[in-house]
Amino acid sequence: MDEKRPLILVVDDVPMNRALLSDVLSDKYNIIEAENGNEALVLLRERTSEISLVLLDMVMPERDGIEVLTIMNKNGWINEIPVIMISGETAHALIEGAYMLGATDFIGRPFDEMVLKNRVNNTIRLYRKQKNLSDLVLNQIYEKTRNNSMMVTMLSHIVEFRNGESGMHVLHINTITEMLLRELLRRTKKYNINKNDIGIICTASSMHDIGKITIPDEILNKPGKLTPEEFNIMKGHTINCAQMLNAVPVGKDEPLMKYAYEICRWHHERFDGRGYPDGLKGDEIPIAAQIVSIADVYDALTSERCYKKAYTHEKALEMIHNNECGVFNPILIECLDAIADKLVVALQTFDWSKQADKDFFYIADAMMNDPSHPIYNQAFRQFIDERKKCHFFEFTLNGILFEYTFTPSVMKLSSKASQKLGLPRTIIDDYKPGDNAQCATENLEKIRKIIQRKSTPKDKPISIKQTFNIDGKSIPCNVKVLQIWAKGKNDAPTLTSVYGHIDVIQ
Amino acid sequence: MNLSEFYNSLGESLEEVLERLRMESRVTKYLGLFLSDPSFSELKTAFAGSDAKTAFRAAHTLKGVAANLGLNKLSASSSELTEDLRPGAFTANSEALLSKVEADYNAAVNGIKQLEQ
Repeated sequence: MDEKRPLILVVDDVPMNRALLSDVLSDKYNIIEAENGNEALVLLRERTSEISLVLLDMVMPERDGIEVLTIMNKNGWINEIPVIMISGETAHALIEGAYMLGATDFIGRPFDEMVLKNRVNNTIRLYRKQKNLSDLVLNQIYEKTRNNSMMVTMLSHIVEFRNGESGMHVLHINTITEMLLRELLRRTKKYNINKNDIGIICTASSMHDIGKITIPDEILNKPGKLTPEEFNIMKGHTINCAQMLNAVPVGKDEPLMKYAYEICRWHHERFDGRGYPDGLKGDEIPIAAQIVSIADVYDALTSERCYKKAYTHEKALEMIHNNECGVFNPILIECLDAIADKLVVALQTFDWSKQADKDFFYIADAMMNDPSHPIYNQAFRQFIDERKKCHFFEFTLNGILFEYTFTPSVMKLSSKASQKLGLPRTIIDDYKPGDNAQCATENLEKIRKIIQRKSTPKDKPISIKQTFNIDGKSIPCNVKVLQIWAKGKNDAPTLTSVYGHIDVIQ
Repeated sequence: MNLSEFYNSLGESLEEVLERLRMESRVTKYLGLFLSDPSFSELKTAFAGSDAKTAFRAAHTLKGVAANLGLNKLSASSSELTEDLRPGAFTANSEALLSKVEADYNAAVNGIKQLEQ
């Protein structure tokens, strides 16, 4: 089929009617047919983003035209796919009902070939224009977010570099803050924040230490212990930052400004009131600042600094539990414990280039869940749904599955695969199983070999016979592998990801 | 009998049909297909089985198909029957309206058969 020709779904229970319509339209369009409402809905579900127009009969067995329209409304399809009713129907109320349900047009029988062609053509053109416009807006939002988030990251890095820190600190705080926030939202509605605030708080968290630009170099980068006077100056970075932000002439009522202020000023407060600069106690400290302060402490403990070595993840958790770095809100410590395992992986596999995309997903997520402007982009919705479906099947089917993406290079195993092959669920490239894990080492090598197999783009999965070491025995398996290739405009296709299913031969 | 004579014999106009469907060959093709369209026999079966809902749908279909082919008398009588059956039950008029549809249908079908020879 020629891909540039728009696809029209013709829904009519009478074969003659379908034949006549496709006869008239097939010189310019590709046609698929459904002989009742149910069939139409199945096709609409499967090919939502391909179908450019529906020609819909009204009176049919197995769900009539009105029922099809009702369901198209429910699923939001009506916002992206125009529907022209085509029927001998003359009952005024029914036709009006179809318009109310979002039908674009009504063509009565007998229809005129010329009129039909023109209405079809105009409707498709109009919707295409609208779709292009909404894609344009979406792209611009994406670009804007990307630039904004890059700006904030750049500026906060400049501050970090002056502190002699790696620059990863800001990004780590970002990640930890996000994970803690999500966990906190799962546990309680007590704090007046919602999903839409997550992105803003994370952005604001990047700025937590910008007040340090007011601290002289010799204090900021002093290798030894600070004197009490020096420490007092150092503490001033909180108040100084708050004053700087107050002096910014714009954005006074913006949530980003509010959170940035709270975080900068109070991320060194402690739950028992023994922090600085204001000695706030308990929930007098805004929750955003509480979260960033625990994230800051965790990352400081697990990173190397000019005055200390890096502690392990376990040691850092232990020190936080023992209040060795001050007292934190017990619910946040609970959250930290809950995300502890995921956190280690997230910080290890951190990918800079994904940061902006993440911000974009916050916006998309917020828009999709906001009834006042839901996202109408079907392809986008479908993508999100597919991701969820994928997770669900993986979980239910409990197969031995692996997947590998090249940027970032991360391998993921299903829980069954992890258990059978003796490997962790998430594997980054420099991972090595312990010395006494002979079978894990062997299995990992075999999977890596499969992933790096030379190939050219093809759409079909490849079948490979391979033995794996399962429970200490060499077990023959069939491995089905699907490679996903990206085709650039000019460059040669590149392999972007590999999906595999290991089937034990009985 | 040619296409124009066929429409004349039914008191209809080929010109009107051609204005909408453009090609004589197309009109001939769909008249041929009309012979195998099951709507009318479904209508009869539905009457025999006292199934007013199916009868309504069949009459509705017949009305649309006939209209497209310029069989306006058949379309008009089917339309009357459609409206009679719309509430979902047979009325005192239904049988008489069906006879009218049947007469128009037979006239059209006989004509198409002669056309085909």
